[in-house]
Amino acid sequence: MLDTVVSAETPEGIAVELRPAGFGARYFAYLLDQFIRIGIVYTFALATIIMGGFGFGLLLILAFALEWLYPVAFELSRWGATPGKRALGLKVVMDNGLPITPAASFIRNLLRAADFLPAAYGAAVVSMLLRRDFKRLGDIAANTLVVHRPTTPAPVAIEDVEPLAPVRPLQPQDQAAVVALAARASRLTRERLDELAALAAWVSGDMGRSGPEVTRRVLGVAQWLLGRR
Amino acid sequence: MHVEALAIRLRPRSNGEAADLGVRLCQAAAPSVFGCYLAVALPLFVVCLACFELAQWLPTVAIWLAKPWLDRTILFVLARAAFGQKTTPWDVFRARRQVWWSQLLRTWTQRRLSPWRSLTGPVYQLEGLRGSRLRKRVRQVRAGKASAGLLVTGAFNLAEAAIVAAILSLFVWLTPEGMQPTIPILLDPSNHGIVQFVVALAYAVAVAFVEPFYVAAGFGVYLNRRVELEAWDIEQELRRAMP
Repeated sequence: MLDTVVSAETPEGIAVELRPAGFGARYFAYLLDQFIRIGIVYTFALATIIMGGFGFGLLLILAFALEWLYPVAFELSRWGATPGKRALGLKVVMDNGLPITPAASFIRNLLRAADFLPAAYGAAVVSMLLRRDFKRLGDIAANTLVVHRPTTPAPVAIEDVEPLAPVRPLQPQDQAAVVALAARASRLTRERLDELAALAAWVSGDMGRSGPEVTRRVLGVAQWLLGRR
Repeated sequence: MHVEALAIRLRPRSNGEAADLGVRLCQAAAPSVFGCYLAVALPLFVVCLACFELAQWLPTVAIWLAKPWLDRTILFVLARAAFGQKTTPWDVFRARRQVWWSQLLRTWTQRRLSPWRSLTGPVYQLEGLRGSRLRKRVRQVRAGKASAGLLVTGAFNLAEAAIVAAILSLFVWLTPEGMQPTIPILLDPSNHGIVQFVVALAYAVAVAFVEPFYVAAGFGVYLNRRVELEAWDIEQELRRAMP
């Protein structure tokens, strides 16, 4: 089955699913960061313009620091991401899912120069489109990965139906499928819900039948599986 | 439509992740996608570039105009790849009436101007609806996802621009010392000759490389919308669980 997920194993032998972020989200994160940096330099320039040559020197130092240290500082903060990445729900981690180390952060950001070649981040664009983990050159060198931050799904209200015991014991993944159907029921059209419930009708002993009555019984099984007896 | 035959793991995804899934699908099916797409696109690009003699701006505009029509070939291959099928240029040729010649007028006019064509393209091409039902369906799929379609278009247009800039700067770097064109020369439309041709050529290369990924990203968002509207992921699970 095709998926973007990369799995990493912790030293304790636990498999962690990482969801690498691809070109689109990363490009917009980069643009946001760029706007923020330009904004800072512009504001500072307005403040230092009265200081003449000394102020211009300060401005150059600031521009240098923003170019090279801004991403490093933010990636090593507790968010693990620059403001642009945070706004897009992204985060930088090591290949194995651990927080990014200072050395890795420096490497991946210094190598932005290589990604920039031959112009306008051409190498980064090609690399991100061709690699299955969407890494740019700096990520390859530093063994880092830009991932979508895991989000907690919003709580769903499941319609109250009379609970009903399944006619036979269900495998854990089958139970999960029936419960997932109930959780999604309120967002489906009635016809589509009946159609899907007909596929699951065997859990309530209605195999081969369909209709609102069968749907209610399947949702009842979901209630029973969730612990209402 | 056999959801259980899909070779893609479905689940509700964010828009960004859905686009990534599309790119991943394009990578996995790259031999089929690029084989069929380039078989159609390269002859067309050669014709477009040959128009350079008529007017210098013509090749770029012609390639830009042809994009939605080229997208149809890519989408045909991607839709089959989603079910794990390989596609050869011969398969595309046999389906030419459906892929190349249907909805021809709208493809070259209205859809060229659509800012989210990679998202709505699958509805037009794959769902086989007509008339008012088609329009209603397009509105339904686009509802709440128009911004996602817009962002996909924006991102991949920028990718194209980046690759054009990269190729042009390579060209500048590799020209002999003292002959390099400067930026004003590159941008000056009255300047004729090899520089303008290289600009058109760079654009053709960028479109040849980026377009399949763009169509695939939009297709990913489209699939995600179907997951939202019709719970395809749950159907996949239930069909697998059936005794």
